[in-house]
Amino acid sequence: MKKEPMTTKAPTGLVLNIQHFCTHDGPGIRTTVFLKQCSLRCKWCSNPESIHPKAELAYNPGKCIGRKECGLCLKPPFPEGAMYVIDGADDKVHVNWDLAGECDRETVAICPTQALHLFGQEMTVAEVLDEVEQDGTFYRESGGGITLSGGECLLQPDFSAALLAEAHQRGINTAIETAGNVPWRFMEQVLPHVDLMLHDHKLTDPVRHKKWCGADNSRILENFKKAYETFPQTKFIARTPVIPGVNDDEEHIRAVLAFIRPYKNVIDYELLPYHRFGESKYGFLGRVYELEDFTPPTSETIHRLQEIIDKAFGRGGTPPTA
Amino acid sequence: MATATRRIAINLGGGYVPGLNAVITGAVLAAHELGWEVVGIRDGFDGLLFPDRYPDGGLVRLTRASVEHLSSAAGAILGTAARSDPFHVRSINGENQVEEIDRSDDLLETIRSQHIAAVISVVGTRALSILFKLHRKGLRTVAVPKSVENDMATTMLSFGFNSALSFAVETLDRARQAADSARKIGIVEVLGEHSGWLALQAGMAVCADAVLIPEIPYDITGVASKLRKKFQAGSTSALVVVAEGAMPGNRVQVPDVAAAADSFKASLSPGATGHEGAHVIERSGHVAETVALQIQRLTDQETYPLVLGQLVRGGPPTAVDRQLGLAYGAAAVRALNENHSGVMVSFQPPDLKFVPLAEAINKVRTVPGDSVFMQVARSLGISLGD
Repeated sequence: MKKEPMTTKAPTGLVLNIQHFCTHDGPGIRTTVFLKQCSLRCKWCSNPESIHPKAELAYNPGKCIGRKECGLCLKPPFPEGAMYVIDGADDKVHVNWDLAGECDRETVAICPTQALHLFGQEMTVAEVLDEVEQDGTFYRESGGGITLSGGECLLQPDFSAALLAEAHQRGINTAIETAGNVPWRFMEQVLPHVDLMLHDHKLTDPVRHKKWCGADNSRILENFKKAYETFPQTKFIARTPVIPGVNDDEEHIRAVLAFIRPYKNVIDYELLPYHRFGESKYGFLGRVYELEDFTPPTSETIHRLQEIIDKAFGRGGTPPTA
Repeated sequence: MATATRRIAINLGGGYVPGLNAVITGAVLAAHELGWEVVGIRDGFDGLLFPDRYPDGGLVRLTRASVEHLSSAAGAILGTAARSDPFHVRSINGENQVEEIDRSDDLLETIRSQHIAAVISVVGTRALSILFKLHRKGLRTVAVPKSVENDMATTMLSFGFNSALSFAVETLDRARQAADSARKIGIVEVLGEHSGWLALQAGMAVCADAVLIPEIPYDITGVASKLRKKFQAGSTSALVVVAEGAMPGNRVQVPDVAAAADSFKASLSPGATGHEGAHVIERSGHVAETVALQIQRLTDQETYPLVLGQLVRGGPPTAVDRQLGLAYGAAAVRALNENHSGVMVSFQPPDLKFVPLAEAINKVRTVPGDSVFMQVARSLGISLGD
C-alpha cells in the first residue's frame, strides 16, 4: 500500500515516556515511545502507568523528604484530604488515591523532590521526533528506528499515524507494539506507516482471554488476520508474554503457530518470559498488583516452548533466558 | 417508640473480617424495633450496580427472623467486595475496550428509586474514603468501622480485631512450641502495615522475646544481642513477632534484587528514576524473611520465618466481636434515627459516639509511645527493637 506523508496539521498525543537505546522492540537499537491508554487490563501488566487515558498522579515515597522537611503537599492547592501523614515512625506523606484525583500538573509540580509525578504529557509529532532523532546515529549504524508502544498505541490513531508517517519522511524505520484490541479502522489508519508490527497473542481461548485480560480476543484475531492480508509488505512478529499457570502450555503455542504460519509476512514468533519489574509501579499509582504471588517461568518451560516454535519455523536456536 | 416506616440498606465494603454478620444482625434488630425495613446490598455496591447478576436482583430483604441466629456465624451473608468502587467501575464498552467509568450517579439514582432512605456501610480505611465521596454527592450514610489491625482512627476498637488477636495468639503459642521442639528462633509476621496493635498485643500475650512494630524503627543488633544472651543462658529457642510494616531504624536498605532491577525500572518509568526512586512493594512475608536472615546471621542460631498474613481474617467472631458488631449495628440505626448522616460510629468507652466522616478519613490509629501495652511489654522483658 502506498505510504502517504501526513500533510495536515499534526495532532498531539498523550505520551507516557520516551525510552532510548531499546534492543528488544524491533531490529537494531531503537527509541521506544510509550503512549498512554490501553483497552485491556492484563493482570501481569508491567506498565500500569500506561493504562488510563488521562495524565495520572503517581507517588514515589522513596523520594519524599517528609512533613517536617517539606509538607507542601499537605496544603492548598492540593485537594483537601488528598495527602496525609500517619503519626508514628514514618514522616513521609501518604496519598489518599480516592481523593487525590483532582491534582493537576501545576499542583503536582509544587513537590520539590518529584516524589509526586504526573504520568502522561501531551506532545506534538515534532516534539517527539526531535527527541527520537537524537539517536539517529545509532539507528543508521544498527538498522534500528522508532517503536511505538504503550499502553495501546493504536488507540491514538491520528497521532500514531502522523508520527510514523513523519518518521518515514525523515528516513526512520518504524515499528509498533500492539495487542490489537482496537477498531479495525484504527489499525488500518496506522499500518501504512509501519515497517514492523509486533503483536501479542496472549491467550487462545476467548473466555480465558477475557478472564485474564479483561476482554475477549475475537476482534484481536480478526484484526490480525486482516492486517496480515491487507498489508502484505509489512512484516509481523507475533509475541506471547509467557505467564506461569496462564498461558505457558504447548496448546497455546501450537494454536498461535497454526494461526500465523499460513502468512509469509509473519516472520517470527517470540516468547517474552513474564517478569515482575513493573510491580513497584503499582505502588506508585496506589493500585494492587494482583499477580504478586506469581514467579517468572522456568528456563525449562521457555526452552520447551521455544523448541516448538523453532521447529515450526524450521530452525534451531537459543531460547530466551527466563 | 416507633417512628415512621423507613427503608434503609446495609452493605459491606472491603474484605471479610469476623463479626460482619453481627453488625448486620444488630442493625436489623434495632431497625425492627423502630418499625423500619432493612435491605442488604450484595457484594459491596455491586448488588445495585449490577442487579442482573443476582437472582434476587442484588437486594436482600433482611428481617428479624432471617438474622436472629446469624451473629455467631462466620462469613458474610451479603458477600463482600474487596474492590467495589462506584467511581471506577470496570466495564467493556461497545468497542470491546476495557475501561473504568464513574457510575456514582447511577448508584445514587438507584438508591433513590429503590426508596432507600440511607445506607449503613461497614467499611475499612479504603472503603471509608469512597463512602465519604458518596456522602459528598448526597448519600445519607452512617459508617461502621471494621479492621483486623485495629487501625481505624477515632474509634478505640474496631470489630474484627479481637477475633484476629485471638487467632494470632493461638497460632503464636503453636509457633513457640514448634520453635521449642526444633530448637530454633521462630519469626512470625502478622498484619499491621502502619500500626502494630496486633503484633504488640499478641506478642505480649505469649510473652514473645521481641516484638517489632511500625511505630518503633528497630535496631536488629539490639534484638540479636538479647537473643544471644538468652541462648548463652541455656535457652534453646525463642519467638519474635513482627508486624508486616516494621522497618529498621537505619533505612533505606534496598534489597539486592531490587537494586539489580533499578536501571530497567528507571528506563521504563520516569517515576522510578534514580537510586532514591527504588521504591519496592514489600510483599507479605518480606519482613519475616528479612528479620529471620538477619537474626540467624547475628546469632548463629537457626531461624524459621512464618507468615500469618490474611489467615487472621478468617473464622467466626469471638464473643467480644459479636457484642461489638451488634452494638455497632444498633448504634448505626440510632444515628440515623437521630438524623445523623455522614458520620462513623465510634467506640469511645463507655460510649458509642458519632464522628464526621471527614474527621475519620486519612487517619490511622497507631500505637502511641506512652501506650500501656508498650509499658507492660517492656516490664515483661519483651524487646521492642529500640
